[in-house]
Amino acid sequence: MAFLSTLAKLISPLYPMAKRWLYRFHGGIFPQYNKSLSTRNPIVPAILPSELILPLSQAVGEVAEPVVQVGDRVRKNQLIARSKEDAERKLVVAIHAPTSGNIVAIEPRTLAHPSGLKELCLVLQPDGQNDAIENALHSDGAWPQTPQALKKLLAESGIIGMGGAGFPTYAKLPNVPGKIHTLIINGAECEPFISCDDLLMQTQAQEILLGGQITANALGAQQLLCGIETNKPDAIAAIQQAITQLQALNQAPVPMQLMQVATVYPMGGQKQLVYEMTGIELQSGGHASDQGLLMMNVATLRAIYRAVQLGEPLTSRLVTVSGLGLESGFNVEALIGTPFDELAALARPKFPLDYPLIMGGPMMGVQMPNNHVPVLKTTNCILANPPQPREIQMPCIRCGECMDACPVNLLPQQMYWHAQGHEFDKVEKLNIKDCIECGCCSYVCPSHIPLVQYYRHAKAEIKQRHAEKAAAELAKQRHAFRLARLEREKAEREARLKAKKAAVKTMPAAATNEAATLVTENATTLSAREKAILAAQAAAARKEGQTDNDKKTKGQSLGTNKDKTAAAEAAKKRALEAAQKARATTATPKTADTPSPVTPQNARDKAIAAAKAAAAKKAVALPPLATDQITDLSANEGFTSTALQKEEARRAAVEAARANAKARKALKDSGTENITAATAEPSTPMMDARQKAIAAAKAAAAKRAQTPPQSDAIAKKDRSE
Amino acid sequence: MSWLQGLEAIGIFLALALLFGLALGYAAVRFKVEGNPMAERLDQELPQTQCGQCGFPGCKPYAEALARGESEVNLCVPGGTEVMIKIAEITGRDPKQMAEGVEENPPIETAWINEDLCIGCVLCIKACPVDAILGATKLMHTVIQKECTGCELCVPVCPVDCIEMRPVATHLKNWQWPEPETLVHNKPLASLLVREG
Ligand code: SF4
Ligand code: SF4
Ligand code: SF4
Ligand code: SF4
Repeated sequence: MAFLSTLAKLISPLYPMAKRWLYRFHGGIFPQYNKSLSTRNPIVPAILPSELILPLSQAVGEVAEPVVQVGDRVRKNQLIARSKEDAERKLVVAIHAPTSGNIVAIEPRTLAHPSGLKELCLVLQPDGQNDAIENALHSDGAWPQTPQALKKLLAESGIIGMGGAGFPTYAKLPNVPGKIHTLIINGAECEPFISCDDLLMQTQAQEILLGGQITANALGAQQLLCGIETNKPDAIAAIQQAITQLQALNQAPVPMQLMQVATVYPMGGQKQLVYEMTGIELQSGGHASDQGLLMMNVATLRAIYRAVQLGEPLTSRLVTVSGLGLESGFNVEALIGTPFDELAALARPKFPLDYPLIMGGPMMGVQMPNNHVPVLKTTNCILANPPQPREIQMPCIRCGECMDACPVNLLPQQMYWHAQGHEFDKVEKLNIKDCIECGCCSYVCPSHIPLVQYYRHAKAEIKQRHAEKAAAELAKQRHAFRLARLEREKAEREARLKAKKAAVKTMPAAATNEAATLVTENATTLSAREKAILAAQAAAARKEGQTDNDKKTKGQSLGTNKDKTAAAEAAKKRALEAAQKARATTATPKTADTPSPVTPQNARDKAIAAAKAAAAKKAVALPPLATDQITDLSANEGFTSTALQKEEARRAAVEAARANAKARKALKDSGTENITAATAEPSTPMMDARQKAIAAAKAAAAKRAQTPPQSDAIAKKDRSE
Repeated sequence: MSWLQGLEAIGIFLALALLFGLALGYAAVRFKVEGNPMAERLDQELPQTQCGQCGFPGCKPYAEALARGESEVNLCVPGGTEVMIKIAEITGRDPKQMAEGVEENPPIETAWINEDLCIGCVLCIKACPVDAILGATKLMHTVIQKECTGCELCVPVCPVDCIEMRPVATHLKNWQWPEPETLVHNKPLASLLVREG
């Protein structure tokens, strides 16, 4: 290896690609690193900006829910937003106040996102006191021993992957201990200009390694590998020293090892670094965790350490402020939410910052729509490179340089060809989803084709197509379901109708029979006096039923609540009377005749039977309705008649609403030219409409009030059963 | 004896023909495809808006009619030219221009109900082909945005005109990278040379 590297160094001035012999993965490029622009200055402590902007939506997952209100005073580390419900499923992490101050607004602000979209952000105005809640996460300093415990803490502390993708860290961890055997610490930092991870390793090596130990320990991993590119000798030395120290202090339960990796862009990519360090090539679409590997950025690990040991949520991060447009780049421990322009202004810009700043490095970074966007938890660099005249784009000459440079072994020229021809299905077949948008292909392209931009567009297009397909499939299913439902409802309606018809035919006869048998049954057991009573009751009931019937023919039914309760009361009374009478009669002559002991239970049964019989008789008195049918049909009848009323009322309401809408439209149309007239005029139709609606509603109510009591029989029957 | 040998050859071929015939016949029965595969494939390509602008009561009936060869290939308005070409490919018929006045790639819109005006007449629920409207008699109705296909069938039935179509808002989750402007259209290199020389 040593021989190879000397050889490569020797020939590289003549043949730069000789450096590709020094690492395992395919492709890669060797750009100008320019890291010294920011490493030559010491780390700047956090500055207090005029305002902190904290977006509620993050790169991944759903929108967090604020738990503070405008005007609230918050302290540093106070929880200000979190997931509405199940954080795990929604991929939301908590947001904490980076300093003390007042929440001055919760409003849409431009996000640090290439789209330039505005989304809801909490705006915090620092009060300068930096009054902090110590140990906000209530950590006792003990290392979590299970993945679950660690995950819970991570979700509460708001830690997401700080290397760039911003995937919530807790969601990355497996639930089963021992699933991960190797934790890889990513200290490669391969992008030009960026040096925040380098400086972090130089200054906080112990915290990083302890964070790694905590994670590896909780996950039951067997080893900890730390990969650092050879162009960071200071970081390598610091980490090596920290490893020895920790091992000497016996604070390293998991064995640790430092690995130097070749300096090549994009060494820091997950697949590239994993392959380089372990020789395991992650398959397309596969996760590192499937292979028992987990990779974490140094900044993430440090945040984990601070959360576990000190109970500190993630509220600040190291950010590189650099670029060719700045006099003195630096690294700053920036509060999350600090606006870009305030940080860049500190670095003594050479020219006014009227050009867009870049978030991230020159290779993968994105231009900001507006320089007053906040530092996010994933922002590693703010780059001020004055725009260069764009090289004129030429047609692809099929030189294949891009293919040689692609670290994922894709065919960039093919993908570009189909992407610009909008043949997105073909682009998809070329595995564009594995493209890491590293920009190596654009970097080497002699025709200066912005290849990555084509891929980003194609990816978005493919994603949208898939979403559309899924939506179409859903619509198809819902439509099919609806058709099936309509079919079923129709069938059910028909079946019901048929059953009803059949019931109407057979029921009256059955009911009379039943009533007769009941009466005769009663007759056999009851005395003559009781029979007389029953007959009298039946007669009375018949009369009542007829009156009911008369009323019904007037086309009104469905008693109001009052009527119903009255009817129920009457029925109850009658039943009680019958019961008393029955008891009285059975008490006197019966005892001699029948040897069976008459219990109150028996008497009550009889009373019930009597009531039933009465009901049945009454029902018979209501030709052609049968007892069982009454509830059903009268309810139906009631429905239709009330439905009629309702229809009327609704029509009135519809008319009212229409008039209303018209009035509103008129109001809108007439606009400003004649406000007084406009308001005066349409207000009359509006009033009219409303009055009409009110009148209609009143009429309906009145009608309902007039409705007669439901036939006693029903109420009685309901009671007695 | 040569005629015998000729017979032998004929016999062998007859036997082979019989064998293959049986095998094919068996396969035809054993691996019979249920339903109408072409209609299925066409249905896959249609946008499933279920808007009925094609003159059929939904996408599936149109697909079936296409598979039977009973209708034109250019009737699906939401699908536009793209779907028309796919239909033409599947049915093996000639592509046909979309009808006059059909907007290409219309913006995706969904229905919104003005909830102050809604009188709860349930007419729109009955009109919606995908049950994307939620509501009950005399109560306010609302559209489940996720399910709405933008077919506009609910718009005309509303007695108080309180449904309107609004373009789907761009937010972080559906924002797309724009396509880079191509500075040079990919002409053959020779044409560039000619211009410069
Ligand atoms: S490097 Fe550029 S010119 Fe060469 S094949 Fe790739 S896209 Fe074409
Ligand atoms: S941007 Fe994509 S295609 Fe281009 S080199 Fe990187 S991974 Fe390969
Ligand atoms: S016109 Fe409407 S109903 Fe017909 S196929 Fe197209 S989307 Fe489906
Ligand atoms: S809500 Fe309206 S536009 Fe949307 S799918 Fe239903 S009927 Fe069509």
